[in-house]
Amino acid sequence: MFILPEVGQAPPPVAAPPALLRLQGMSKRFGSLQALEDVSLEIAAGEIHCLLGENGAGKSTLCNLIFGVYQADSGSMQLAGADYRPSGPADALSMQVAMVHQHFSLVPDLSVVDNLLLGQARGVLRRSECAERVQALSQRFGLQIDPWLRISDLSVGERQRVEIIKCLMREPRLLVLDEPTAVLLPDEIAALLEVCQRVAAEGCGVVLVTHKLAEIQKVAQRATVLRGGRVAARSEQPAADLDALVQAMIQRSGEARTSPAAPSYQREAAGQPRAEPALMIDGVSVKDADGVTRLDNFTLIVEPGEIVAVAGVEGNGQSELAAVISGMRPASQGRLFVKGRELTGRSPRQITAAGVGVVPEDRHAVGCVSGMSVAENLFLDRLHRFSRYGLLDRKRMRAAALELMQRFDVRAASPDVSFAGLSGGNQQKAVLARELTLDGLSFLLAAQPTRGLDVGAVEAVYEHIRAVCAQGVGVLLISSELDELLKVADRVVVLYRGRIVGSCTAEPGERARIGAWMAGQAA
Amino acid sequence: MSTLLIKQPAALLAFLKARPAMWIAFLAVAAALLIGLLLVHLIGVPIGDAVAAFAEGAWGSPYAIAASINRSLVFALVGLGFVLADRANLTNVGGEGQIAIGGIVATAVSLYGHVSDLPFGLAFLLPLLAASLAGGLWGGLAGVLKARAGTNEVIATLLLSFIAVWMVYGSVQSVALLRQPMTHSNTLPESLEIPDPTKLPLLTDDYSMPLHSGLLFGFALAIVVALVLNKTVFGLRLRAVGLNPLAARRAGIAISASVVGVLFAAGALGGLAGACMLQGEQYSLKAGFSSGYGFDGLVVGLLARGSVVGVIAGALLFGFLRSGGINMEMVAAVPTALVVVIQGLIIVILAGAALSMQRWEVER
Amino acid sequence: MSVEMAAVFIGSTIRLAAPLMLSASGELLSERTGVLNMSVEGMMLTGAFAGAVGAWATGSPMLGLLIGVVAVIPVALLQAVLSITLRANQIVTGIGINILVLGATTLAYREIFGGRSRAEIPGLDKWAPPGLGDIPIFGDQVFQQAWLLYLGLALIAVLAWVMRYTALGLALHSAGSAPRAVDKSGLSVNTLRYGAVLFTGMMSALAGCFLSIGDIHTFTEGMTNGTGYLAIAAVIFGNWKIGRTLLACLLFGAATALQFQLPAMGIEVPSALLIMLPYLLALLAVGGLVGRQTAPAALTIPFVR
Repeated sequence: MFILPEVGQAPPPVAAPPALLRLQGMSKRFGSLQALEDVSLEIAAGEIHCLLGENGAGKSTLCNLIFGVYQADSGSMQLAGADYRPSGPADALSMQVAMVHQHFSLVPDLSVVDNLLLGQARGVLRRSECAERVQALSQRFGLQIDPWLRISDLSVGERQRVEIIKCLMREPRLLVLDEPTAVLLPDEIAALLEVCQRVAAEGCGVVLVTHKLAEIQKVAQRATVLRGGRVAARSEQPAADLDALVQAMIQRSGEARTSPAAPSYQREAAGQPRAEPALMIDGVSVKDADGVTRLDNFTLIVEPGEIVAVAGVEGNGQSELAAVISGMRPASQGRLFVKGRELTGRSPRQITAAGVGVVPEDRHAVGCVSGMSVAENLFLDRLHRFSRYGLLDRKRMRAAALELMQRFDVRAASPDVSFAGLSGGNQQKAVLARELTLDGLSFLLAAQPTRGLDVGAVEAVYEHIRAVCAQGVGVLLISSELDELLKVADRVVVLYRGRIVGSCTAEPGERARIGAWMAGQAA
Repeated sequence: MSTLLIKQPAALLAFLKARPAMWIAFLAVAAALLIGLLLVHLIGVPIGDAVAAFAEGAWGSPYAIAASINRSLVFALVGLGFVLADRANLTNVGGEGQIAIGGIVATAVSLYGHVSDLPFGLAFLLPLLAASLAGGLWGGLAGVLKARAGTNEVIATLLLSFIAVWMVYGSVQSVALLRQPMTHSNTLPESLEIPDPTKLPLLTDDYSMPLHSGLLFGFALAIVVALVLNKTVFGLRLRAVGLNPLAARRAGIAISASVVGVLFAAGALGGLAGACMLQGEQYSLKAGFSSGYGFDGLVVGLLARGSVVGVIAGALLFGFLRSGGINMEMVAAVPTALVVVIQGLIIVILAGAALSMQRWEVER
Repeated sequence: MSVEMAAVFIGSTIRLAAPLMLSASGELLSERTGVLNMSVEGMMLTGAFAGAVGAWATGSPMLGLLIGVVAVIPVALLQAVLSITLRANQIVTGIGINILVLGATTLAYREIFGGRSRAEIPGLDKWAPPGLGDIPIFGDQVFQQAWLLYLGLALIAVLAWVMRYTALGLALHSAGSAPRAVDKSGLSVNTLRYGAVLFTGMMSALAGCFLSIGDIHTFTEGMTNGTGYLAIAAVIFGNWKIGRTLLACLLFGAATALQFQLPAMGIEVPSALLIMLPYLLALLAVGGLVGRQTAPAALTIPFVR
């Protein structure tokens, strides 16, 4: 049974089994953002309930309400029939509701046992007693762990197991796992799912939050899809309804656009004799500090005048790809060429000098110095233009900034106001203004360039990107907004777990295929 | 403008309101001075006597004024270095050691560098230059450690300070180094007096007001540092490095070179301060040469909150405070430690207020 | 080196290392919880001063010791409030407090003792562990020490035991290693840090008392003379481990003792070199030139939830 509920309609009655946790009409607002709206949900004892949704769909907010981190603005919860209003995580824990967070809170230089004892034990530590309990839990739920190892010597999957054991030691009635598969390797996922099944088999309710249903379809007994803070779909047989669930997840809030507008610029470069590729990435791999492969043998060519989109749910290697291309992080393997020039392992400065513009994913951390003025941010990478004997010609810089601000419609009272005071859209336009006016721009990397922007600003950003593309600049667009990248790009490659799992032309007809790839279904 | 401000309390208030950082610095100094007066009272010395003795020592005679200003110069140079490094969010607490190194090198070059016969003032300029260079290397070393091994610059500059201070001690203990030849058994453990040509020329003609020409360098460097901080590309890059190193790196700024460079510059200013102390006032190197002036300079830099004018104001304040304090002890029997208490209070109050100050500035 | 000289050398090494061991083990705890407590110097000076004044005023070195420990509480609280609650720069705070205490103790000393400097101050008794004190030569030279040293060693042993075997030790360590995890586990990071800073204060006060009423039975202005900074250097050189920190203290103590020992043996080594050696070693250590240093991850970083 697959149901798309009408807005405002009550959730469908669920027959058996009886509800362990019942949520009714939960809403939560953060400032101007309605994170959750009228969400009703039931979780039964002994079931594995999958909570699906893209980033920002409200999954984490919902979990945090259940775990007592936040309190709902309206709505009510019942746990095993009794009113459930946790005042905080400690309160939730005392009622045997436990949660495994996405970010672990472990002390890296302590042993597993010590981590489990932290905050739980009093007085003299009884480590071997604790180790015995760990071993018992290990056997009961199939969680392989050596209690005497230090956390820093464990893999990510093993660390997660420690977090799960931490929860299981409290004999929970309800166990919430927030994006547990995001950090795991495929075989670790299988092990995790088995643990979940065993936990559920003992009568505990398990909530699995994810945006990759494909991985867990085998164990999920029911699924609820959140989109824009509302319930977008429910299913009693997630495995059978997989495609529909994925569609419900990635559709843009209500207004699913049928055909994207045609590009407003003709691509001059297309069809002309082949020039050197704007970007060539040859077998690039990236390992993180824990030795986990984040980007795996990534190979891609972007021709001049072409927009290639890298689609994928966030956290599948996009950030690492962007970091390698912009020179912020070395690749563990592979090579990087721009216009035929090798740039492998070069510094950000050299990469910028080679004509690579970068609109970074995290505007605040990497894209700007928010404590400096708009003008200073616009020219931070080319201050030498306004330098005479090392002195900064602020007058000239100001004039040039005004001109750029006009050209790119950056709205600020003056070039001298603090960058932090600008709206998100104007900040992004300013970053674009800087990167697109780079001397000898031949390639542009735009990572999530429209994140957090309103509709008008989104359009402006893509106008600018198309404009440079028309002048023969190759563009690599990293985005998790399927509609947008279909509208803007020529070609789409899909990243999943650090690998390209599929590629196709950017046509509306390919939407389903791309969605499936993003969800981890093999091509 | 300043006289206008003093005459019109309302204008002063408005002026300070627009500059919260200055306001808090002003309050901190005022509060510390008040506590100082309270302590004078508690000690049982009539406040009038103490203040009179203080004024006499600080600005009561041409000699006193010159001594105060010469002292201020040292504080100002160290403070300028602090402010410069602070722009890149680096805390240079190594002024004391940089002064010590500057003193050692200035002494060595003046005495044994065969410079006294050089024309065009090179006799005193070369030791100054060498001392600055050495101070720069001393400071730059902390930068290299930071860039290479991620060593906290505060710990490195502090340890380097201790090492340098004991180097002064060691070099005046050994005849093989800088100690004057042992003519008899109670020859003091200090260096020979440096030759006259290597002494910094006085700005005035006689020793009744011994203002020395290091002051001119001080002024020139204050202007240079102000320019660097506010008008140059380098200054802007330093600010970017201090505010957001990641974004600065993305924008192609060489972080390591900036860190090493700015700590070198700060060290050079400290080294110059040491040379000025030696060639302008003391003329021979003794153990304890640096006299804690590096820490005073650090306080001046803290007080200034990034402004060169603030450094000069703070340096003058502390220069006169120190001179007055010394006289207070001699004439009014108020221990000069009182001045130390006041300085400590100022640092503690300012450090505690830093968070609220930041919030204030962000809100504006 | 004759046996007598060796005994004298070992004895003076321990005597010189004692205040370092006391304050460094205190400092170690606060650094392990994430507070780089630069004000050990000031705390020691406070303890030395209040201990001396207390012993002089009451005539009882025991009461002096108590007064020394009590007097350090406001200083430690000042450091804690500034660096933990107000999240001030820990280093600047510490240096400020050191300057303040130097001024205040000097001022107060002049006021209290005035012209009668070098006043007779009753000191702590010497004591040797039964049996060890009877060993010829060594018993007298090595083991006959102010009993405060043995109390300090006992305290350090307790500290090491707490850190290793108790829930409190686990929490203290984690507050400097992964404060967020401590917070998530329901404990208060800042409370742990306050406690650690107060403990540092207490240990530093004992160290200061060892200098004034344990060792030389008098107070002189600024008598700590950088010992507090040396304690910090010992913690760094000891790689934030208690055993290695104590060894570093003994090494630093030995370097200082050599100043007096070498000339007696007719060896001329510039004493300045020996004095600066500890700082040089610490610099090499923080510069990553002596093994790998692993400072507590959250050292100097105030905790904000």
